[in-house]
Amino acid sequence: MSPQPSSTNPNSLKIQLAYQFLHNLNNLNSKRSNLATTHIRQRSNRVKIAAYASMAYVVGSRRAWSRAILRTIRNRRMLARNKRVDHKITHRPRSAKRRNPKRDYVDPNGNSGQEVKLRKLVPGVEKMDACGLLDETADYIKYLKTQVEVMKNLVDLYSTI
Amino acid sequence: MSSRRSRGTTTLTDDQIAELVSKLQQLLPELRNRRSNKASASKVLQETCNYVRNLHKQVDDLSDRLSRLLSTIDDNSPQASIIRSLID
Repeated sequence: MSPQPSSTNPNSLKIQLAYQFLHNLNNLNSKRSNLATTHIRQRSNRVKIAAYASMAYVVGSRRAWSRAILRTIRNRRMLARNKRVDHKITHRPRSAKRRNPKRDYVDPNGNSGQEVKLRKLVPGVEKMDACGLLDETADYIKYLKTQVEVMKNLVDLYSTI
Repeated sequence: MSSRRSRGTTTLTDDQIAELVSKLQQLLPELRNRRSNKASASKVLQETCNYVRNLHKQVDDLSDRLSRLLSTIDDNSPQASIIRSLID
């Protein structure tokens, strides 16, 4: 459905993200209840989810952050479908490691505080070594930046009415 | 990358750290213009955190604006048909 990124050319990346995002937005509009009738907060939330979903779909499972986002999305879907049943996905396996004291380890560079904060900001990197963490972060930032550009362009387009 | 997997503790060589730090530095708008690449690792990490938070906030704001605009868009407007032609 969506083209796989063949290069890291920023323009082609932007086009892929735009395509995916528009596709997701279109699904939002047509599939569920009409956007115009749902609560504003809910609408905004759905657009936000569509944005992160676009990033994750374009990258697929090649990155830890995109895998984490895709997992979250799929869990949400399952939750939505099992609304009447007790949620099976309430306990998150990650919580066991959340208070891991090792995370406050102060490395030789004294980076502990920032590193911990970074791990909370970037999805999917909680258990990664520092090397992978920085690598994932750089990739995540690249896609986030482009997604923001796509959204800005869309807002401009829709505003010129 | 040959760093050992040790649950968040860093056992990188200085070279690896420097390489990753400079890579991140390229991406950060504030630090990119500095001539020197001597920004400390912790400074780069801090800027990175701030930048990611900033981007998240931008996504939130833009989602908000987009959702308002989307609800008001007329299906027959030129913009809507452009969008439709892009997707199909």
